Amino acid sequence: MESRKTGNAPAHFNVGDLVRVKDLPNLFYSRTQMYVRGVRGTIAARTYEDLLPEDEAWNRDDAQPEQFYIVRFRQKDLWDGYPFENDTLQTELPDRWLEPAGH
Amino acid sequence: MAQTHDHGDHSHPAAPMVEEISEFEILEIAVRELAIEKGLFTAEDHRKFTEWAEQIGPAGGSRLVAKAWTDPAFKARVLSDGVAACREIGIDWAEPTGQGTPSDYMELRVLEDTPTLHHVIVCTLCSCYPRPLLGHSPYWYRSPNYRRRLVRWPRQVLTEFGLVLPPEVEIRVEDSNQKCRFMVLPMRPAGTESWSEEQLAEIVTRDCVIGVALPRPDRKSDDVRPVHKASRPVGGEHHEPGGSP
Repeated sequence: MESRKTGNAPAHFNVGDLVRVKDLPNLFYSRTQMYVRGVRGTIAARTYEDLLPEDEAWNRDDAQPEQFYIVRFRQKDLWDGYPFENDTLQTELPDRWLEPAGH
Repeated sequence: MAQTHDHGDHSHPAAPMVEEISEFEILEIAVRELAIEKGLFTAEDHRKFTEWAEQIGPAGGSRLVAKAWTDPAFKARVLSDGVAACREIGIDWAEPTGQGTPSDYMELRVLEDTPTLHHVIVCTLCSCYPRPLLGHSPYWYRSPNYRRRLVRWPRQVLTEFGLVLPPEVEIRVEDSNQKCRFMVLPMRPAGTESWSEEQLAEIVTRDCVIGVALPRPDRKSDDVRPVHKASRPVGGEHHEPGGSP
């Protein structure tokens, strides 16, 4: 059983905020899918604080935990020429991978 | 000589399918064999556990949905804290009690379908699945085919499962890539108004809580599967279909 890491993790976003997924370099391991990078979405939920997968993969238990969010994307924004207006996709991302994307 | 088949301008021998083994599988085998050698458990113990683990079904999810359909207060608790709601029906994510395998992950989010919103779950990076509630995922859920196509062409993939939804209905794909686990709470179908919780649980099949099917009053998880007779059975040129061989 893992012990969830919590602390004073930086949480820069609230439900409803527009964010863009950063396109950071992949250093050995990441759980940020390529298909969401650079794409704008909306914070749908704040989930929990925990270590980044990038740290956890290397047993860096003393690393700084971060806030995670469920981010909602429009399928039209993810895929060129996606033909259905209303369809969406949600996935989960840590604070570090997100930046504000206007209003 | 090996059997060959032609591709127009060239031919090559028919090769057997070779199963590849991943590094994680090699690691599992190595650790398992060491544990057996050390006497921590026997090969028979391991076989029995595997047999048990592989036959666990999605009954926990079916009961959760059926109770949520009949008890609005319970449904509210399911949607606000899935793991706590599971405890109310006897499923403890920390100490699975016969309904699933242990999980390191303790975040369950139940996704409620409405007349204008349909959810479907996938894990594009591996095979994340709410195992304490639903047991092991189906083989196709772990296949690269489902994982890469569902996010890109959800409506086409759902159509392959026999589920065609009108364009007005928002399809929301939930890609489970971190520590939250997801399950779909489908809409209760018409025609089940007077049904008991037990009856309702029977129509909530595994595929309904993944989101690739909708519950129907006439389809239960233990239904007899349709059988299509062969139109030209082996050696049957001179026999009528269904006749004695």
